[in-house]
Amino acid sequence: MGTITESKRQLAWVFDLNKCIGCQTCSVACKVLWPQQDPGTEQMWWMTVNTKPGRGTPRDWEAMGGGYDAHGKLVLGKVPTPEEIGGGWDFNYDEVLRGGRGSDVHLHKTSGAKSWGMNWDEDEGAGEFPNAYYFYLPRLCNHCTRPACVEACPKDAIFKREEDGLVLRDEDRCEGAQRCSSACPYKKIYFNSARGVSQHCIGCFPRIEQRVAPACVRQCPGRAAFIGFLDDEDSAVAKLVKKWKVALPLHPESGTEPNVYYVPPLSPAPLREDGSFDESGDRIPPSYLESLFGPGVHAVLKSLRAELDKKRRGLDSEVLDTLILYRWKDALGHLDRDPAEIVWN
Amino acid sequence: MASIQGNWADAYRDKWKWDKTTWGTHCVDCYPSNCPYHVYVRDGRVIREEPAGDFQTIEPGVPDMNPAGCQKGASWSQMLYGKERVLHPLRRAGERGEGRWERISWDEALTDIADAMLDAIEESGVESIVRIGTPAEGGTQSMALSGGVLDRIGVTSTDVQSEINDFNPGLYATFGRFDPAASNDDWFHSDLLLIWANNPAYSAIPFYHYVAEARYNGAEVVTIAPDYNPSAIHGDYFVPVRIGSDAALALSMCRVIVDEGLVNESFVREQTDLALLVRTDNARFLRQCDLEEGGSESIFHLFDQHSGRIVEAPRTLDLGALAPALDGSFRATLADGVEVEVAPAFTHLRHRLEDYSPEDASVMCGVHPENIRELARKVASRRTHILLGWTTGKAYHGDLMERSMCLLLALTGNWGKQGAGIRSWAVGMFDGQFILRDKPRSGQEATREIVAGQQAMIDAMLAEDPTATKEIIIAEMSYAGALPINAVPSAFFWYHHCGYREAWNNAGWGDPSMKRTFDEYVDEAVEKGWWQGSATQAAQAPPRVLFEIGGNLLRRQRGGQRMLLEHLWPKLRMIVSVDWRMSTTGLHSDIVLPAAQHYEKPNFPYTTPDVMNLTFSDRAVEPQGESRSEWQITLALAKKLTERAKARDLVEIRNGNGERVRLDRLYEEISFDGALADDDAVIDEIIRDSAVMGTIPADTTLESLREKGWVRFIDWGLSPMALAQASDLSPNETHSPFRWQTEKKEPFPTLTRRAQFYIDHEWFLEAGEELPVHKEAPAQGGDHPFQITSGHPRWSVNSMNSTSSIILGTIRGEPVAHINDGDAAARGIENGQSMRVFNDLASVVVQARVTPAVQPGQLVMYNGFEPYQFKGWQDFSNVEPGMVKWLHLAGGYGHLRYRALHWQPVPIDRAVRVDIERAS
Repeated sequence: MGTITESKRQLAWVFDLNKCIGCQTCSVACKVLWPQQDPGTEQMWWMTVNTKPGRGTPRDWEAMGGGYDAHGKLVLGKVPTPEEIGGGWDFNYDEVLRGGRGSDVHLHKTSGAKSWGMNWDEDEGAGEFPNAYYFYLPRLCNHCTRPACVEACPKDAIFKREEDGLVLRDEDRCEGAQRCSSACPYKKIYFNSARGVSQHCIGCFPRIEQRVAPACVRQCPGRAAFIGFLDDEDSAVAKLVKKWKVALPLHPESGTEPNVYYVPPLSPAPLREDGSFDESGDRIPPSYLESLFGPGVHAVLKSLRAELDKKRRGLDSEVLDTLILYRWKDALGHLDRDPAEIVWN
Repeated sequence: MASIQGNWADAYRDKWKWDKTTWGTHCVDCYPSNCPYHVYVRDGRVIREEPAGDFQTIEPGVPDMNPAGCQKGASWSQMLYGKERVLHPLRRAGERGEGRWERISWDEALTDIADAMLDAIEESGVESIVRIGTPAEGGTQSMALSGGVLDRIGVTSTDVQSEINDFNPGLYATFGRFDPAASNDDWFHSDLLLIWANNPAYSAIPFYHYVAEARYNGAEVVTIAPDYNPSAIHGDYFVPVRIGSDAALALSMCRVIVDEGLVNESFVREQTDLALLVRTDNARFLRQCDLEEGGSESIFHLFDQHSGRIVEAPRTLDLGALAPALDGSFRATLADGVEVEVAPAFTHLRHRLEDYSPEDASVMCGVHPENIRELARKVASRRTHILLGWTTGKAYHGDLMERSMCLLLALTGNWGKQGAGIRSWAVGMFDGQFILRDKPRSGQEATREIVAGQQAMIDAMLAEDPTATKEIIIAEMSYAGALPINAVPSAFFWYHHCGYREAWNNAGWGDPSMKRTFDEYVDEAVEKGWWQGSATQAAQAPPRVLFEIGGNLLRRQRGGQRMLLEHLWPKLRMIVSVDWRMSTTGLHSDIVLPAAQHYEKPNFPYTTPDVMNLTFSDRAVEPQGESRSEWQITLALAKKLTERAKARDLVEIRNGNGERVRLDRLYEEISFDGALADDDAVIDEIIRDSAVMGTIPADTTLESLREKGWVRFIDWGLSPMALAQASDLSPNETHSPFRWQTEKKEPFPTLTRRAQFYIDHEWFLEAGEELPVHKEAPAQGGDHPFQITSGHPRWSVNSMNSTSSIILGTIRGEPVAHINDGDAAARGIENGQSMRVFNDLASVVVQARVTPAVQPGQLVMYNGFEPYQFKGWQDFSNVEPGMVKWLHLAGGYGHLRYRALHWQPVPIDRAVRVDIERAS
């Protein structure tokens, strides 16, 4: 079993769910950058965005267990099956475009999961029209302070990097036991059947080593993603998480102390039975948000509403100014270098 | 630095490395595009791309535009090497659409094409060669340069506006311009953003953040849509409207504003025609020609409250000391001595609005009366921007919706200032690409001569009418067909050659308020000369050769596959598709020519005020296989056409206007004797010409853009859509259109020179649409319970990315249509199952996405999928009749005349009626 070491500093991500538009740019940027299209990686999406409420990726991952129990004891859960992870599709391009069969064949999947994908329940949500509700939840490895995967690994292949707290896997040491996957309450670990190892988000460590932000953050067109050291008081991340406390981890009850935080979603006023606006009502049930972000979510939403009200009255709001992000590079903390400047020898 | 060691870690580090980067960007059709990317190349292969993120702050206190990109941009490199790529010239070896190909040489392909063109010219005239006016990939190469040989010899080009229909006819009818395009950062200045008939979370991914940020800055965000769409989720209010009832909602808000005394009267008097006097006896404006023999038809009148007299309305918006009445009834004595009653158009408007009390409108649009009142009061008290999409223009009565929205803004003084207005699209400013063809020789001296000539002409026309503007003069030149855009309105082409005539005459599918048949309206419009030669030209020439360059007609056209394959295709002897990927149109072509992809040629996407930059995309790698840039294809075709023409002794032809066109020196003429034959040379020429024309800094060259990637425009130039912005192009302010109207009192380019809500064209009076009104959408496709709405997809720029394997991985890997959960349950359809969607025309099978976010009775089918992604290639265009609104055939009236990219009948696809059942 692995041992969790304490890192000197901790990098953290913040996603503002009031800015995330579910475009999957983070997912695609990650998939294109890292070897997630090599043999054995077809189903891998280290970064994903899902519509919530929804079954997500892997399908029903929130019911698969893992993490720590109330006594701090490691809990092993389920390892998602390939069908639950979904996707991994190839298509019959040659048959359709060059096969000479005309409209008898159409472009369709020739491999992979039958009825699930990384974003299968996109834009579905819950509720009843016109009071349907949904929002987008981007997810990657949480680079937890107390990573269950590290503790679960029989080969001690997973570790927290000392200088920034990234949870990394020594893939030369990993033997593919998948206990990490069973222990991870977020199910963000994938198995590479071609190589016989597991893989997960590497926190873009080669970029971070060059002072360049991870691809998911740097490519986010919604300007919903932030990164930085939690102890760097100047970073937007520290301000949002530590100073104003408007960003919360997902499923804090997992006990792993995630380092990916979320500004929880506001939502439009619901409509009463007669169609008039119910200004004081909640479109997204608060209990649902509490089930994701813990009981602290109510105070955060209250505080966000108060800040919005301040702005509408012409007053200043440092919290909202941070989220507005007048200067995009302020989202990147110390990782604000333009990668194209780098010249490799 | 590298604290962790090991082969695995080094493998990741190595994976990230590259040899070189170039600048890259993608197509404009996601609009506004122009996202600057760095393209990363390793071992001669593009390995990835990433936004440059180097925009500077434009206006202090407004967020910058970084990083600007999306998931399509992030995976463009994957399509470069995708299996849908076309890498060699292909000739059909089976039936059209069979997908059986013979690989041939460029020489063979061009010979076939040139011979087919010459056959068509000899047999039926050059107009029988049709270039589909496609936005293609919306770049300098595919639009401006690819037309080199086709436009020069005078082929028929269909108007891109009707091909794609991103037109806003109601904006155009009101303002004489359809294309206000605030820079996206201007949204930040709003106090109230109405996301209306729009879904920017899908269609404006790089710039949606300004909505969220404006909200954080204190704005309220209201989404008005039938469904709880992905843009609605981050708003303050979601206003679900019945499909097609947006005009009723807007008019009711206007009613509230009028009733509650919230009208900004000085704005209305100054900016609009609502103070102009209308005769009670015939509902026409009181014109100078009514009052005096030989008087003008375009001088109108006001009742001046100061002098107590009827006076001529100024031809600009400067009212001077006049105090025009908005209400009242007055008497005017006509030239023949008869006295008539006249009243300001505003009086008529009051009368019209009587039908739209919130309670009555609530029945029409499904919005609670109190919600209507609250919204109206918000608009009246706040700086409001309507973030309009391009859905209204695709609705049968979308013009009425837009006119009603504009009225709402007019009554509340909401245009011509930052953070206010309404939004469409515009391209322009990169003017060098428009004059290339007119240059007598290469080099900037020739450009200076042309510029001086243009300026002299404009000055002369301004001297003739000092109240006019440069915009009005350019529009007049465009009406006269004097601008180098060679287009015919597509509607006439479809009517005569593509089988649409029958559908358009189907009374059940058309507007129930039509008093005559569609044919009668066509005949009258043509007879009256409202469509100049364009209608007859399309009617006379039998189509023989068709070019689709970068576009995908059989995906895009409403009703297209069914209609075109049945009616147009059999008439065509040669169909040529020029594309970098195999589209459905490509599959149905006779010859497919492989174009270089975005990272394989120097190019620019069309430039827009939304971003205000010229954004360069470079040749990161050589074109793969035998693919070539569009410029090289054009030049090769020119050479071949000359060679084959000479061989049959056909060196001179006549174009549709009867002008002589020589075919014996095409290559020399187009390439300026080879001086601009190289891609770099022609691109550099266009850049330098644009610099001479003053729209980009004087020192801008290909070399400087290779270094810097993009440059901000410094002036508008002379293209119509740029001039339509009508505001200073400031280096350190966000752009908000129409400030020259509010600040300088310059006229609008309409008949009345004001924002025009009252249109006294005889047909508008016949339709009862002289003022905005709500009309129900006709039952297009038959009497069925569901209405299809559509929209730009999140995951593809039209069909371009819809077959990308990586993008398909982010959706369900196949097309889906969204249906309400209750509707699905009632039909026994479960999420993920196939459903059959059918109407009087056809039947389509598609996977169901079941969600409570969709309104009962609505079926959402986002567009963009290739027909060949559907079973039997039967996509949703099959259930669309592809109607046009008859009233848009109206012409001969001020700004309601045809000019390229503007007023014309445009195809409808919203609110097509279907039924749905579970597919077996």
